[in-house]
Amino acid sequence: MNRLHPFSAAVYALRYGLLWLWVPFFLVTALAGAIEVVNIAWLPVAALLGFLSGAAYGIVYYYRFEYGITPDTFDVASGVIARRSREIPYRRIQNVDVRQGVLQRVLGLAVVTVETAGGGHSEAALQLVSKSEADRLQHQIRRRTAGVDADDPDRPTSEASEDSRPLDHEPLDKQSSRVDGTAEASPASETRSRREPTEPSRKRLFALDSRELLLYSLTTLRPAALAAVGFLFFFATDTVLDFLVTLSQPFGGPQDLQTGDTQSYGVLTVVSMVNGIVITYLVSVAYTFATYYDFRLGRVDEDFVYERGLLQRYSGSIPAEKVQSVTITDNPLQRLIDYAGLWVETAGYGPDSSGGSQSAVPMARAAHVHRFAENLTHVETPAFASPPPIARRRYLVRYSLIAAGVVAAALALAQVTPLERWYLAAVVFVAVPPAAHLRYVNLGYYVGEDHLVIRRGFWRRRTTVIPYFRIQTVSTRRSIFQRRLGIASLVVDTASSRTLFWDTPTIYDVDLEDARGAHRTGRKRLQSALRERARTDDASFSVDFT
Amino acid sequence: MESLHPRIRLLWIAQTAILAAVLGAVLVAVDRWLVPVPTAGLVGIVAVAAVLGIAYAVRLYQIWQFELQGDALYLERGVITFVETAVPFVRVQHVDTQFGPIERVLGLSSVVVYTAGSRNADVRIPGLTPDRARRLQDTLRELAVESEADDAV
Repeated sequence: MNRLHPFSAAVYALRYGLLWLWVPFFLVTALAGAIEVVNIAWLPVAALLGFLSGAAYGIVYYYRFEYGITPDTFDVASGVIARRSREIPYRRIQNVDVRQGVLQRVLGLAVVTVETAGGGHSEAALQLVSKSEADRLQHQIRRRTAGVDADDPDRPTSEASEDSRPLDHEPLDKQSSRVDGTAEASPASETRSRREPTEPSRKRLFALDSRELLLYSLTTLRPAALAAVGFLFFFATDTVLDFLVTLSQPFGGPQDLQTGDTQSYGVLTVVSMVNGIVITYLVSVAYTFATYYDFRLGRVDEDFVYERGLLQRYSGSIPAEKVQSVTITDNPLQRLIDYAGLWVETAGYGPDSSGGSQSAVPMARAAHVHRFAENLTHVETPAFASPPPIARRRYLVRYSLIAAGVVAAALALAQVTPLERWYLAAVVFVAVPPAAHLRYVNLGYYVGEDHLVIRRGFWRRRTTVIPYFRIQTVSTRRSIFQRRLGIASLVVDTASSRTLFWDTPTIYDVDLEDARGAHRTGRKRLQSALRERARTDDASFSVDFT
Repeated sequence: MESLHPRIRLLWIAQTAILAAVLGAVLVAVDRWLVPVPTAGLVGIVAVAAVLGIAYAVRLYQIWQFELQGDALYLERGVITFVETAVPFVRVQHVDTQFGPIERVLGLSSVVVYTAGSRNADVRIPGLTPDRARRLQDTLRELAVESEADDAV
């Protein structure tokens, strides 16, 4: 079993010290008010004691945290008072991620997380190990995962078979695995020499060039940016308000917030809104730029490996075997310049909030992305079918109801505030027909030979390719309104992680017969595809897709 | 297609009754502390809720059906939104039998089938006799083992 990097002792000591500092702090503050004996003057001493015991706990935590690579499992044992020892079988591991913050990059340290399919969080997090150790772990786990997967899963694996097994065709890897075997005894020292021979087996699949990075940053809007700006406004309200007033003055804004007439306040509002939008947009651009800076995707054996980030550096690996579905995303701006992005979904939990979705190609020409998706999944070029026009009428009614709700809200507001001309809110009805039409025209589905392709969404359009053998369940849903119109929605569930923004792939509002047909086809092809896979054992996803 | 045990209606009606009682309590609280609610209106609202609930329970029982087909567990259910779901046996991760306090009194049991999916990841078949639930659980387990796929996630 190995320990974390000694620096983590300091990190844990500081973290628990700062955490525990507050316990006696609050205790003394609360008790000093209630009990005579307790004096508020004890505060510094009590806080110091809290910090020291926290720091001691952190250091013990470091000494009690161990991890190790065994032939069949990745083991983590942790905990000071309650011990937990966890063994993660290699064949259950979805991906291994390495994350480096700014300070960690300077110090040559990294955080390693191991993801499996279950649960809403990482199965194991090693905080912190040296970068070389992180790379070694990532490589070792990946190699062993691939080794187990290539084999009959039920066959017991032993250390002996491990060494002579599937890498015969790749002398470099074999060589490195030999070195690994001997190096297990003395882990820390020669990680560097061990890393070198594995490098050549990495093959580059895609690298985001600066033009694509800029286009991606400029055309992607992140909801997180809105939160960041809101956060700033919350904490520096006065400064921000002064700033906004100053900015609006050239356009006829008020001298300050107290003096001003209706017109200048109006100017202030409009200018501030424009400023808010511009600032949010700039934050979003900067965030995307920093996150996807120097994005590189490569392959090692049957795994995808990627790296990205300007300040905080991520690197992760996705076994091609674990890919559940593939999605092409684009928004209206990206469609205008004919670009798109490619994402792969796994059942694990991703390094950021995007759940099990990982960007394989953040941005490239739409034609290239479509080709990538076809190469990756072997899907034929889809001939999309549209839902019947009755669906569009449904959206027209639905959006009209929403618009009516907006008008009703304006009317209600007019009752309690001196708002005049509330009926001007009815202007939202103008947006209803185009909205309904845009939703309708972006819906499409294709029932292919080996895949189901589902396209939906206007603002963030997603085209998902689901191989039949990845289907978990299929459901045909009909609300009372849909039943009246004779249409149905087909929900195709896969094992991709549950996420907030990525809904389950659904074919919306198609004729009942078509929905039932796709339902039957999905079920039938799932069975035949599984039989086929058991017989031929061919790879379902091509790693070399670019 | 197999229907649920008729007693399941009692379970659903009991659940409705509890909800209606809660609604009634809330209305009484509103009457006491916020705005006066006429007694007739109060009784009326609770009665309407109860009747709707009972009608819903009866209709749901009529609709709820399930079947073990060649390759999958197939279910039909839903009053407002009618849902037909197929859970392929290959995808079954594990199967539970469960019963809550009311179900226990009524002598009923549920079977819950778990898949690795993200939505509809657990499918519940309520209103089975404990004996039928156990048999269904065994059958599903056997079918799941029989058809195990090699592409586990």
